[in-house]
Amino acid sequence: MMRNDPIKHVFIWPAVLVVLAISIFPLIYSLTTSFLSYRLIPPIPPRVVWLGNYATLLQEPRFWSALFTTTLIAFIAVGLQYAIGFGVALALNARVPGERLFRVALLLPMLLAPVAVALVARMMFNPTMGPLNQFLSKFGLVNLPFLTNGHWALACIIAVEVWQWTPFVILMMLAGLQTLPEDVYEAAELENASAWQQFWGITFPMMLPISAAVVFIRLIESYKIMDTVFVMTGGGPGVDTETLTLFAYQEGFKKFNLGYTSALSFLFLIAITIIGVTYLALLRPHLEKRR
Amino acid sequence: MLRRTFLMLTTSLAMACAAGQANAACSPDYTGVTLTVASQTGPYIASALKLGADEWAKKTCGKVNVVEFPWSELYPKIATSLTASDATFDLVSFAPAWLPDFVPYLSEMPKEMQSGKDWDDIEPAYRERLMVWEGKIYSQSMDGDVHTYTYRTDLFSDPKEKDAFKAKYGYDLAPPKTWKQYLDIAEFFQRPDKGLWGTAEAFRRGGQQFWFFFSHAAAYTNNPNYPGAMFFDPETMDAQINNPGWVKGLEEYIKASKLGPPNALNFSFGEVNAAVAGGQVAESIGWGDTGVIAADPKQSKISGKVGSAMLPGSDEIWNAKTKKWDKFPSVLPGPFMAFGGWQIAVPKAGKNQKAAWDFVKTLTSPEVSGQAAITGGSGVNPYRKSHTANLQLWSKIFSPEEAKEYLGAQSDSINAKNVALDMRLPGYFSYTEVVEIELGKALAGQTTPQAALDAMAKEWNRLTDEFGRAKQLAAYRAAMGLPPKN
Repeated sequence: MMRNDPIKHVFIWPAVLVVLAISIFPLIYSLTTSFLSYRLIPPIPPRVVWLGNYATLLQEPRFWSALFTTTLIAFIAVGLQYAIGFGVALALNARVPGERLFRVALLLPMLLAPVAVALVARMMFNPTMGPLNQFLSKFGLVNLPFLTNGHWALACIIAVEVWQWTPFVILMMLAGLQTLPEDVYEAAELENASAWQQFWGITFPMMLPISAAVVFIRLIESYKIMDTVFVMTGGGPGVDTETLTLFAYQEGFKKFNLGYTSALSFLFLIAITIIGVTYLALLRPHLEKRR
Repeated sequence: MLRRTFLMLTTSLAMACAAGQANAACSPDYTGVTLTVASQTGPYIASALKLGADEWAKKTCGKVNVVEFPWSELYPKIATSLTASDATFDLVSFAPAWLPDFVPYLSEMPKEMQSGKDWDDIEPAYRERLMVWEGKIYSQSMDGDVHTYTYRTDLFSDPKEKDAFKAKYGYDLAPPKTWKQYLDIAEFFQRPDKGLWGTAEAFRRGGQQFWFFFSHAAAYTNNPNYPGAMFFDPETMDAQINNPGWVKGLEEYIKASKLGPPNALNFSFGEVNAAVAGGQVAESIGWGDTGVIAADPKQSKISGKVGSAMLPGSDEIWNAKTKKWDKFPSVLPGPFMAFGGWQIAVPKAGKNQKAAWDFVKTLTSPEVSGQAAITGGSGVNPYRKSHTANLQLWSKIFSPEEAKEYLGAQSDSINAKNVALDMRLPGYFSYTEVVEIELGKALAGQTTPQAALDAMAKEWNRLTDEFGRAKQLAAYRAAMGLPPKN
């Protein structure tokens, strides 16, 4: 086949059309909707407001509160997941007795549906019937307002996120640890390097690329948190635990405010992009040093 | 040959007779028809629909498939289906407050269903008000909902308690006439060391919380001198939710939250019922389910000790027109038709509309609905005259005294001259969402009652302007039973 053979179009265009149909057109439609004042209920005919929805959103304290809550959950949860996950992966990599059992048991939370996990957590943290408060009561301690106080509720959501997604970090870090070359460690031991020195001098730098990828994936995923918050607190008390996705759900599927919700989705996309780009920019010098 | 012909004739005749009998059993015959109904997750309402479905299947040989969604998901599921004009659901069960949003997509009730004995048996509050939208009938009530008061008769009739209460508060211990008395009683019985608390109400966001708040506020804001002005000024459509009557209601609602079991802030109506039936609280307000569940020995520790009354009221009610408190010679009870009872309707896009309306007829017939009303956990409360008139029906679950009080409270509330109707307005969820958010803040002490209500009023006015003030005003007046404004 020649470079300018028209037959090439037969092979290329179907693929291009499929990509356009399933990813680009919905995005364009959503972007167009974000410039409209468009409600399904009560039915209001679409009206072009250009950047009106964006301006309203940026002046909306609830949007900033949701962004702050989401960022807080994402950064604290992912930080803890990484620290605990890396630690556990190191322990499992050291071939402790019963390592296989630990490996399977520690991976189980990740296999459960987030909704089921959130339901169980909701029962665990139930103020009157939950085992946690019953346990505290046995020691004469007061019942804690786990899901009825904003700070406690946020802490509970973070705890559930950490419990469920640390196994993912363990899995990825363990896979990375198992690819590290043995001879580097043997050389370090000959130099009498302590375990701590080996970790900071060899393990951590060599694991940096995979760490960067794991944290990036988890960060993006954590920003999309919805099911856990929806089931555990519904965004309450007030809007103390309302995340961006939950805010978008309330606007889109409760109030059917489509234009506003589309604008919110695009602002969400912009926020995630800024965070992702900043994160990669900050890490780039360290990653390039490793090459 | 003759013998063979005779045999064939006999067989044909037998088969024809058998078919005739089968058809006679199905009247009208909906064999092969399967209706799909959208409902909230059971047992509440879904079990009543299933009861109706069984009866309809026996009568017509049709089938009914009840599809259940969690309460918080029901509105979006129905709304999505209706606005897309798909035929997913042949029937939808929903809150009357959602009717204005759904009306453009619903079919009108057949005229022949709008008359006769069964029709007249429906309480006028439902038949003439909640089932009507702009003069037409698009839905049928399948449940009656009005908030009433429930209390423990064993505590209230105990001479020691009565004496101690009178000594402390200077008046007799009895079902409260005012909200001040309601809070006094709650405070009096607040005994955490004995596992007894004052009252139980719903305070949780998404847990039917705002209806309980509305019940408190109704006593101070539903002024008979200026009807229909509880939520909005019916002349201007200005939000009234931050007027002094509402402030008083919210202050008392917050006080009630501190006189309940630990972490009452996490209570939805389900937890309220559990607290009442578990004998944890001396009094409570809520829908009729509370009384039925509390009376059921299988579910309750206080069976046989359940008293009911109308909601407390006030002798001072805020007048939204004069912007002053109107003083009344005596206390006016403040019944509030919270939620207003589940309704059922047939979408225009449905493919089995005739069968669907026939199912509605069976489901809401005095016999089937009467049975549902006395079934604890069905979620169905009285909405027909025959429901409250038939004491025999209720003797299965209540003692005669309990039944008299329960049915009296239900009937008196629905038929009270000053009964407050719940808000029904296009964009209902947008209006109530901000109420839930600000209530959460006020209950958690993050904001003052006045500031919370000011925030609600500001958002309500903004929404009204966005949806079209004139359109919303017309809808609000229709919902409140007021004539159109010229």
